[in-house]
Amino acid sequence: MASDEEYSLQFDEDESDEEVTALYESRNTSEFTLPDLICHKHATIISQESEFDIDDDEDDAIHEYEDEDDEDDNDDLLALPITMSTKKALSEGSVPNLKYECLTTQGIYERMLKRIHHLQPLFSIPPDDILILMQHYDWNEERLLEKWTEKMDDLLEEIGLNVTSKKIVDNTNSNTRGLKYRKDFSCFICCDDKTTETFSLECGHEYCLDCYRHYIEDKLHEGNIITCMDCSLVLKNLDIDQIMGHASSNILMRSSIKSFVQKHHRNYKWCPYADCKFIIHLKDTSSLGEYTRLHYSPFVKCNESHRFCFHCGFEVHAPADCNVTNAWIKKARKESDNLNWVLTHTKECPKCSVNIEKNGGCNHMVCGNCKYEFCWICESAWAPHGKSFYQCTMYNNDDNGKTKTTSTEDAARRLKRFTFYYRMFNEHEVSAKLDWKLGQTVGIKVKALQEKIGVSWIEGQFLSESIQTLVEGRTSLKWSFAVAYYSDPSHNLTKIFLDNQILLAKAVEELSELLLTKQPEAIMKKKPDFYNKAGFVENRRLALMECGRDLLCKGICKPTD
Amino acid sequence: MASLPKRIIKETERLISDPVPGITAEPHDDNLRYFNVTVEGPTQSPYENGIFKLELYLPDDYPMEAPKVRFLTKIYHPNIDRLGRICLDVLKTNWSPALQIRTVLLSIQALLASPNPNDPLANDVAEDWIKNEEAAKAKAREWTQLYAKKVDDN
Repeated sequence: MASDEEYSLQFDEDESDEEVTALYESRNTSEFTLPDLICHKHATIISQESEFDIDDDEDDAIHEYEDEDDEDDNDDLLALPITMSTKKALSEGSVPNLKYECLTTQGIYERMLKRIHHLQPLFSIPPDDILILMQHYDWNEERLLEKWTEKMDDLLEEIGLNVTSKKIVDNTNSNTRGLKYRKDFSCFICCDDKTTETFSLECGHEYCLDCYRHYIEDKLHEGNIITCMDCSLVLKNLDIDQIMGHASSNILMRSSIKSFVQKHHRNYKWCPYADCKFIIHLKDTSSLGEYTRLHYSPFVKCNESHRFCFHCGFEVHAPADCNVTNAWIKKARKESDNLNWVLTHTKECPKCSVNIEKNGGCNHMVCGNCKYEFCWICESAWAPHGKSFYQCTMYNNDDNGKTKTTSTEDAARRLKRFTFYYRMFNEHEVSAKLDWKLGQTVGIKVKALQEKIGVSWIEGQFLSESIQTLVEGRTSLKWSFAVAYYSDPSHNLTKIFLDNQILLAKAVEELSELLLTKQPEAIMKKKPDFYNKAGFVENRRLALMECGRDLLCKGICKPTD
Repeated sequence: MASLPKRIIKETERLISDPVPGITAEPHDDNLRYFNVTVEGPTQSPYENGIFKLELYLPDDYPMEAPKVRFLTKIYHPNIDRLGRICLDVLKTNWSPALQIRTVLLSIQALLASPNPNDPLANDVAEDWIKNEEAAKAKAREWTQLYAKKVDDN
């Protein structure tokens, strides 16, 4: 939307930021050249790969996610280095690495099967029977072993793996396990007389296959052990597959694992993203307390690259911690009814009143009708935004002069204040979504690049990486408004936080604008710009996050009502 | 209405030809899946000499799904709530297609003989039962006299 001259100017603007930056951890404005960047980028990719240690035993990759500190290291390489003071702050409040893995129900089941294979020498029974025992003890190996050594024979009978003589129906024909073919069989369940296939266990309770199938079908999704319809003798997986005619026992096992995951929600969490089938397994939850204490959040990432907070199950909400996030969401839910926010995707041009739809994340709008340039958020002219300060992230406390206010005025002011922050939060959420959409088209752009000017896949990656950085920047920016809302506005650190917020907002808008470039050639030409802007966003994001955590640690930001 | 499964026909026939002592179950004329049931209070229980009316419905998926049973007569019992709903394992998780209408009704009769206040449905009743069993039983007897008298209202 903006002209190319503006891009070239952007990096020289650092001087004007200087005074603000100096208030909090500033960064060194170092110049670098393109080959440097590419080289660093490669180094980053390699170091990321080495983080994945793949266990030979498991199919699922194990991630070692080292929270924000780790990302710093990468980003230092990628972009502007953070000053020593920031480094110190980061290392002081460091938290233990989160060791987690990303699994599926099938993955967990296969792992259980392997465990059973290992355990088999301890038991004198077939693996299928051990599987039933494990299921009975909720996949708890220790408990099973304990009970097993205590009373193995009783256990088998109790669970229904052994037949007791009194349970056997006196029918010598039926007392073998498996399928049978019978003429004029009268099934006790459906009462039909027919020539049919039947099934029975050693107990001799024999029913037609139709009834058995119907019975099992209903039970598969419950995930519990399935028994004979008339006694407690257990149907093993082999029996189930034999009756159903295909591998249905797998469904039962997955249902069983599912209920296992739900019961162990302290260590296992479903990825909250819609239709995502992954489960995050945190082996050691003891470090979570440390995270809470230092106002860090245990963010995890599933194999679909969905990132979420292991503690509250919400999206990545830094710089806010789980408390602020919770309070904010509750408040927003409560207040949004009162405010009756009508936040749509269109706004009228402040000059000519033509309706404008926002179809990208960038907040720099140019009216298609009258060419007026304005800011989507504050609806005033864009010119002052681009140059020095990105003013519209600041809440303007317009009643400085007043000293005494009535309670209604006070309430009205508080509501107004919340409304402001809520609107900011919302705007950036919408923008992040639009940016994400933009990201979907990036794939097409990259493809166009490859076909048109023969760029290799790895070289085109900077585009999708920039989108990723942009969305993360927006998300942090969004949540920073929740932190700002709950922070003491008179405190100096809050002011610094707000300044940092402005810097991030500015960086984000610039990157967002850059991503609107359409021509593949222009994109390639702007590659250094992409690196610069993305690095810029990332650095500012980290600084804002650290600053926010500082507010939380010092009790300046306290979620209320 | 779809034709009645053979299983239901057979069970109904047997309920009429060979009834369980102390229990009657008759299907409605216009809906053969819906039964009017009476259960006699077991001897030596607070419900002795009472006749309790129940309704029983066989869902479409019967016998894969348990029959739905509800008390119509008011009863003071820790496992039966004021709407007549019954907390009984064989009606819920322990249902098996191998069970029948008659076995279910026998289980209900057995529940009257031995209330289980530790797994309550009517919490207030269960509380009374645990605190003062004799007083609770007296109240159950009183309710039986009041609402489940043998002489029919008709």
